[in-house]
Amino acid sequence: MKTTLLMATIAVGLICAATAAAEAPTRGEYVDQLETLCKPDALATQRAMKGARSDVQAERLRAAAPKFAKAAAIFGSTVKEISTVPRPPADGERLKKWFGYLGQQEGYLVKITAKLRADEAIQAQRLTARFIHNGNLANNVVLAFGFEYCSFKFSRYG
Amino acid sequence: MRRQIGRGGRPPPLLLPVFACAVAAAALVPALAGGERIQRGNLIVALGGEISPLQLPRRQPDPVHLRLDGGLISADGSLLPRVERVEIGFPTQGVVSTYGLPSCTVQQLRNTTSARATSVCRPALIGDGKIVADVVLPDQGPFQVHAHLLVFNGPLKDGHRLLLLHGYARRPPTTVVLPFKLERRNGRFGITIGANLPAALGPWPHLARFEMNLGRSYLFRGRRRSFLSATCPIPPRFTAGFFSLAKVTYTLAGGRRVSTAITRGCRAQ
Repeated sequence: MKTTLLMATIAVGLICAATAAAEAPTRGEYVDQLETLCKPDALATQRAMKGARSDVQAERLRAAAPKFAKAAAIFGSTVKEISTVPRPPADGERLKKWFGYLGQQEGYLVKITAKLRADEAIQAQRLTARFIHNGNLANNVVLAFGFEYCSFKFSRYG
Repeated sequence: MRRQIGRGGRPPPLLLPVFACAVAAAALVPALAGGERIQRGNLIVALGGEISPLQLPRRQPDPVHLRLDGGLISADGSLLPRVERVEIGFPTQGVVSTYGLPSCTVQQLRNTTSARATSVCRPALIGDGKIVADVVLPDQGPFQVHAHLLVFNGPLKDGHRLLLLHGYARRPPTTVVLPFKLERRNGRFGITIGANLPAALGPWPHLARFEMNLGRSYLFRGRRRSFLSATCPIPPRFTAGFFSLAKVTYTLAGGRRVSTAITRGCRAQ
């Protein structure tokens, strides 16, 4: 009886493991899925940030703030969305690190927005430098994935 | 010259790296310099660079030097695709001026060593650098060619200034002169230099990496001028700004294009 139970447990375990492996996407499938999710948001970010550079240039920081706020909201929702996509098991650690950077990116956008609202130019400038640096670090982590829309591009932000 | 071009020390000017790429026309290189990277399929494209000095006036352009480095590498070490065209874009906050700068011709540079080219066209020299290409000949193992690059102000052609990239390799002794067309366009990268890699280079060289230093200060009619100048156009309350420094686009054999851009900062005086 005990032997039968043990065998059944092992069989169920094997079936579950096989099913999970079958459901885990390859890196190519994962990239395709994420790019599909990132593309509309990347384009929406570009639209939301239109004119932000001119606003900052003209020192209309409070006018630029809502554009950064919109970009931060889009970024946050994108990260939330793509974080639920099943990841290729072999890339687990790398993607964990990437999502860590993405979380920081969102934080920087939120902080930049706050500084612009407060009309604090130098602080906004410092955070922007960190935002760019952090974005490049994030890109390096997933270089091999070949992301287009899910990668950081400063040009999208005005 | 505001500062001697190349020869270590701090990096000089801007444009020529592209040329170098073109010259080498193809190559495979092990390690790419620093800078930002992107990967498309099996191909990694890298671009780095900086301007000096970093501290610039907000309105009136000051002379600058530009250093660019970059290249291509295959993720799995396989042979790189051939590059058929190289184009580098620069933001319009930079100023490229060849007014009053002597020029040199392709004929003067053809079949010359670096030393000879320098002695013949020194007044037109605007940059230098190096390039590495992998060469694969039929029935032979691949080998690398390391070439020294020189960049000269060239003649006008169809209303556009040409910049001549002179590449010279000692082993095997090879000289290549590539004309890069300097153009102005609309958009973020309003200043571009581009060149097609001539079929005369043959199918063997595969561009791997390049390094280019550009910049030249010179006197014309008693006034000091600079081949490259730039501002740091930021509002009074800011002390630093960020801008897209350069974008490189490679057209590969078969028509596929890959490009990457880099962002850098400047400080206001």
